[in-house]
Amino acid sequence: MTEPHDDRGIELPSPTASPLYFALGLSLLLAGLVTHELVSMVGAAFFVLGAVGWWRQVLPQESEQWVPLQSEAERARPVSPRRAAVDHLTAGEDRHRMRLPVEVRPISAGLPGAAAGAVAMAVVACTYGLVVEGSLWLPINLLAGIVLPSVDQASPEQLRSFHGLAFGLACGAHVLLSVSVGLVYATTLPMLPSRPLLWGGIAAPLLWTGVAWSVMGLVNPALEQYVSWPWFVASQIAFGLAAGWAILRVAPVATSQSLSLAERAGIEAGR
Amino acid sequence: MASIPLADTEPRRRFRSDVLHDWVTTVDHKKLGILYIASGIVFFVIGGLEATAMRIQLAVPENDFVSPEVFNRLFTMHGTTMVFLVGMPIITGFGNYLIPLMIGARDMAFPRLNAWGFWMFLFGGLLLYFSYLGSTGLYGAGSAPDVGWFAYTPLAGKAFSRGNATDYWILGIVVSGFGSLSGAVNMIATALTMRCEGMSLGRMPLFVWMMVIVSFMILVALPPLTAAQVMLLFDRFLGAHFFDTQAGGDAVLWQHFFWFFGHPEVYILMIPGFAYASEIIPVFSRKVIFGYSVMVGATVAIGFVSLSVWAHHMFAVGMGRGLNIWFATATMIVGIPTGMKLFNWLATMYGGRIRFRVPMLFCTAFLAQFLVAGLTGIMLAAVPFDWQVTDSYFVVAHFHFVLIGGLVCTIFGAIYYWFPKMSGRMLDERLGRWHFWLFVIGFNVTFLTMHGQGLLGMPRRIYTYPADRGWEIWNLVTSLGVVLQIAGVLFFVYAVIKALRSGEPAGDDPWDAWTLEWSTSSPPPDYNFDEAPVVRSRRPLWDLKHPDDPDWKYE
Ligand SMILES: [Cu+2]
Repeated sequence: MTEPHDDRGIELPSPTASPLYFALGLSLLLAGLVTHELVSMVGAAFFVLGAVGWWRQVLPQESEQWVPLQSEAERARPVSPRRAAVDHLTAGEDRHRMRLPVEVRPISAGLPGAAAGAVAMAVVACTYGLVVEGSLWLPINLLAGIVLPSVDQASPEQLRSFHGLAFGLACGAHVLLSVSVGLVYATTLPMLPSRPLLWGGIAAPLLWTGVAWSVMGLVNPALEQYVSWPWFVASQIAFGLAAGWAILRVAPVATSQSLSLAERAGIEAGR
Repeated sequence: MASIPLADTEPRRRFRSDVLHDWVTTVDHKKLGILYIASGIVFFVIGGLEATAMRIQLAVPENDFVSPEVFNRLFTMHGTTMVFLVGMPIITGFGNYLIPLMIGARDMAFPRLNAWGFWMFLFGGLLLYFSYLGSTGLYGAGSAPDVGWFAYTPLAGKAFSRGNATDYWILGIVVSGFGSLSGAVNMIATALTMRCEGMSLGRMPLFVWMMVIVSFMILVALPPLTAAQVMLLFDRFLGAHFFDTQAGGDAVLWQHFFWFFGHPEVYILMIPGFAYASEIIPVFSRKVIFGYSVMVGATVAIGFVSLSVWAHHMFAVGMGRGLNIWFATATMIVGIPTGMKLFNWLATMYGGRIRFRVPMLFCTAFLAQFLVAGLTGIMLAAVPFDWQVTDSYFVVAHFHFVLIGGLVCTIFGAIYYWFPKMSGRMLDERLGRWHFWLFVIGFNVTFLTMHGQGLLGMPRRIYTYPADRGWEIWNLVTSLGVVLQIAGVLFFVYAVIKALRSGEPAGDDPWDAWTLEWSTSSPPPDYNFDEAPVVRSRRPLWDLKHPDDPDWKYE
C-alpha cells in the first residue's frame, strides 16, 4: 500500500492503460462470436497486450507515482469546533409527546377477562335465542357452524333442537375465541389512550363486528342466514365491557420502561 | 520504479488530449467513480428516451408511432439498460467514490482491477447497443434484442429467436457482469482491510456497511446469471439442450436461474438507495441515525432472505402449492426488516431540526414512495392476487415505484448531496427544487395511475390496444406524466452544467456533515487525505466540531 513518502508528497499507484486494453481485448474476443473472427483476433491481441502490461505494473515491484501535496491554500481547512451549543432531546420535554407504558396489567389478566366476557356474551346470545327465536339451542348450534359444515344444511327445526356434538364444539369454540381475545385485550389495553373501557369495550367490538359482517358468508354461512345484527353487536359489546372491566380490576405491574438503558441491561444496579 | 518527481507545482496549460489521457489511464477511485456515475447518467437518458417512445405509442389506442417489432426492442433495451447500465454503474460509482473517503483510505484495495471493472461495464454496454447496427435480426437487418429484459426460454432459444440479437444481449450483459463482480470483490476487500485507525466495524458509516452487504449479494447472485447465459449461449451456438424442452431440457430452469439473480438484484439496486438515505437523512435532520446496529442487522437480514424469494416472479408457471406458499411467505418476511428501516429513518427525522434542502426532499419523497412500493409488493406476494395481475401493468407500476420512487429518487438525492464534494461546486438550490417537484409529481402521475390500467387488466408489453377496454384515460394520464418527468430531468441537467461552469464554491463541508469525506477538500486531492485520519466514533467530524460533547462518550 501507499504510505506518506515524505512531507511534500505521497506515493500512489501509477496510471496505466493496461486494464483498459485487457477489458477491450476480452470484450472484442467475445464480440467476435456475433461479428467476425477478425474481431476476436484483434481482441486476443489487446488481451495479451493488456495482460502483459498489467503484470508488469505489479511485478517485480508495484509501479508507483509520486504525487506532491497540494499547496497550503488548496488544502482542506482543519475542522474547527462549533460555537453553537447542542440540544439533547430529553424524554417528555415540551412538544415531545411520549406515553411510556410504565405500568401494565399482566398478560395473565386476560384469563379472568376472557371468563367474564365469555359469560356476558353467552348470556346475551342465549337471551336472544329464548326471547326472539324461542329456542336456547339456536345460537349455540349456529356458533358450531364455524367448525361443523353440516349446520349449513340443517332445517330451522333441527337448528332449534339440542345436538350433543354441536353443543360441545360450540363450547370449545367459545372458550378458545374468548381466551384469545381476552389475552389480546390484556396486552393492548394499556396502549389505548385515556379511556380504555370506551375503546376496548365499545369501539373495538364495533370494528370487529364490521369485519365479521364482511367475512361471515365465508366463515359461517348458516350464521349469516339467521343472524340478527343488533343482537350480534350487543353480544360483542357485552363481551368487550365485561372483559375490560375484569382486566382493569387486576392489579397492574411495573414495566422496565421507566428505567434507564443501563439499568435495563443490568449494568448498573438500582436507580 | 517509474516514479518521476514533479517538483514543479506551477500550474501548466493542459491540452485536451492530456486530460483525456488522464481519465482513460486512471486507476484513481474518485475518477473511476465519476466515470461510472457519468456513464450511468448517459445510459439513463438513453433508457428514458426509450421509455418515452413507448409511452407515446401507448398514449392513445390503436397508435402506430412505432411498429410492434420496434416496440419489442424498446421495452427489452429499456429494461436491460436501466438495470444493468444505469442502476449497477451508478451504485458502483458511488461506492467507488465514497468508500475509501468514508473509511479514511487513499484508494480502493485493487486500483487496477477497479479500472478494469469500469471498462468491462462500459464495453458491455457498448456491445449491447452495437446490436442496433451490427446484429442480424429476423430479416437480416440490424436489430436490437427483443426478447424482454429477462429473455425467457424457449423464446430466447435458437428456434424462436433467429439471428443474433439475443446473443448480443447475452454477451453484453456477461461482459458488464464481470465488471460488477470485480467491483464487488474490490469493495469488500477495501472496507474490510483498509479502514483508518480507530474505525472498527461498529464505527463504519452505514453507507459502507450497506455497500459491503450489497457486494456479498452480487457475489452470490450474479454468477448464476452468467452461468445461465453461458448455457443459453451453448444452446444457441453449439446445439446444447439446456433449455430446449423438446430434447429433454427445461425452459423453467431458465426462469429459476434468471430470478435467482433477478430478485436479489432488486435489493442489490435498492440497498444502495437505503445507504444514501441513511447518510443524508441524519445530516439534514441534525440528529444521529436512529438504530445504527438495527439498520446493519436489518440489511444483513434482507440480504439473506432476499436470496430465497426469487420464485415469487413465477407463481403463474404452476410450481405447485408447496413452493408457492414457501415463496409467498419468504417474500412477506422480507417486508419486516425493510419496514424496520423505514421506521428507523422516520425516527431519525422525528424531533429533529429538519432542513429541507434538495437532497433531503428527495429522501423524503423516497420514504413515501418506497412505502407504496412495499405495500404493492406485499399484495403481489399473495399468490391468488398475483395470479390475477401477473404480467399486467400493476406489476410494472409496482417495480417502477421501487426503482424510480425508491432508487432513482435516492440517487438524485445522493447527487445533490455529494456533487459538491466531487466537483467543488454547489448545485443550484432553486433549480434543484424545480427538478424535485416536476420529477416527483410527474413520476406519481405516471406510475400511480399505472396501477389503474393494471387492475383493469391491461397486460404489459402489448404495443397497442383497442379503444373499448376502458384503459384510454389511464394510459393518456400515464403518458402525460412523462412530460413532467422529462422537464424535471432537464432542470437537473441544466443545474449540473451551470454548476460546473459557474457554480458557487462548495468549501470542504457545505452541509455541516459528520463523515470523513467532508474533512478533506472539495474535490479531494488524488491522495484523499493529507494525513491518515484517526476516528473515535461513528461521527468523527462531530467529535471535532463538538469537543465538549463528543459521540464517543455515548457509543
Ligand atoms: Cu422479486
